[in-house]
Amino acid sequence: MYVLGISCFYHDASAALLKDGKIVAAVQEERFTRKKHDISFPKNAIEYCLKNQNISIKDIDHIGFYEKPLLKFERVLYQHLEIFPRSYKTFIKNIPLWFNEKLRVLKIIRKLGYNKSVFFIHHHMTHAASFLLSPFRKAAILTIDGVGEWTTTAYGYGDENEITLLKELQFPSSLGLLYSTITAYLGFSVNNSEYKVMGLSAYGDMNKKTNNYYEKLKQVIDVKIDGSFRLDMSYFGYHYGNKMPSKNLGGLLGGKIRKSNEEITQRHKDIAAALQLITEEVIIKILNFVLEDAYLGPEYSDLEIKNFLDNNLIY
Amino acid sequence: MVVRKMKWREFFNGLKEGPKAFGEDISIIINLIILSVVYIIGVGLTSIIAKILGKHFLELKIDKNKESYWMKFQFESRKKEEYYRQF
Repeated sequence: MYVLGISCFYHDASAALLKDGKIVAAVQEERFTRKKHDISFPKNAIEYCLKNQNISIKDIDHIGFYEKPLLKFERVLYQHLEIFPRSYKTFIKNIPLWFNEKLRVLKIIRKLGYNKSVFFIHHHMTHAASFLLSPFRKAAILTIDGVGEWTTTAYGYGDENEITLLKELQFPSSLGLLYSTITAYLGFSVNNSEYKVMGLSAYGDMNKKTNNYYEKLKQVIDVKIDGSFRLDMSYFGYHYGNKMPSKNLGGLLGGKIRKSNEEITQRHKDIAAALQLITEEVIIKILNFVLEDAYLGPEYSDLEIKNFLDNNLIY
Repeated sequence: MVVRKMKWREFFNGLKEGPKAFGEDISIIINLIILSVVYIIGVGLTSIIAKILGKHFLELKIDKNKESYWMKFQFESRKKEEYYRQF
């Protein structure tokens, strides 16, 4: 049985082909179009996957799409309703794209000549599905990203071939988008250079007591004992515009957004370090909570859970 | 004869270019007007009414009194039919 997975219209469009539950081909569209992070429908990537197995689109039994487009569109509309009239520019720019491409995924897939089932899978469920390829029979599952439809963070558990997600945090509170916002503030490109900020943090002050920006940056996020968090959106602009940091964030961190050609100073390195410290703190809090709350079964003792964390058995 | 045909074609192709560019400009203006009307009437009115009724679509502020921000996962269903849906 062949299953084709498709992701597109957000970032890094790609296709993956599974044969009897095993990945046999996977590739990003940018490899063919030579456009970095290409978001367009991955026609070339699909063609490559099919050629790799010497099959045609008619041999595919199921197609899985990486999110539920209408649910995501609902979130986009809610953003505009909440932020009216500040979202005017984004509305004019982005809504035509929704009607031309994002809401016509099924039509575009049918144009390939494929007439069988297409599954639209909740975005964080697709992340959680990596459990199925892990060596574990049972595992606690935690997914954290920028944003899917509404979900930004979710946890649950996997048991054999079943995945259950229990709880979630929703947009606009997102650890991924916090990281992207500071990436933009530090003059790097979003959805591309977050890893540079992570690398930069190693050159900053990683001591919570002496890093001046740690306490300041903590003001933008409220973290509960169980690791759940919410962002103070007055410091952010991504929920209504294309600029991720707001003026307030510049005020809080004592400076304007760095331009990409400006020199990187110790201040920038310390801000990156503060962000890394907070990110790690939140994730560790969530992990501890998830391991308690997500059902792993009676055979997992406290000691095994401790080993689980100590040995970095995190997929 | 062939040369004359080619000249006519060139002449008409030249005529097409101007209106085509003009058409593109017009379509941008019309789309902008339609989208603006949809935004102001559709989104704007709904937003104003919702704000009067105290309805919020996004959680934008920190709530210090809350014990936890975790919410029940909204998409629990495992029915196969629901995966055919885009919502």
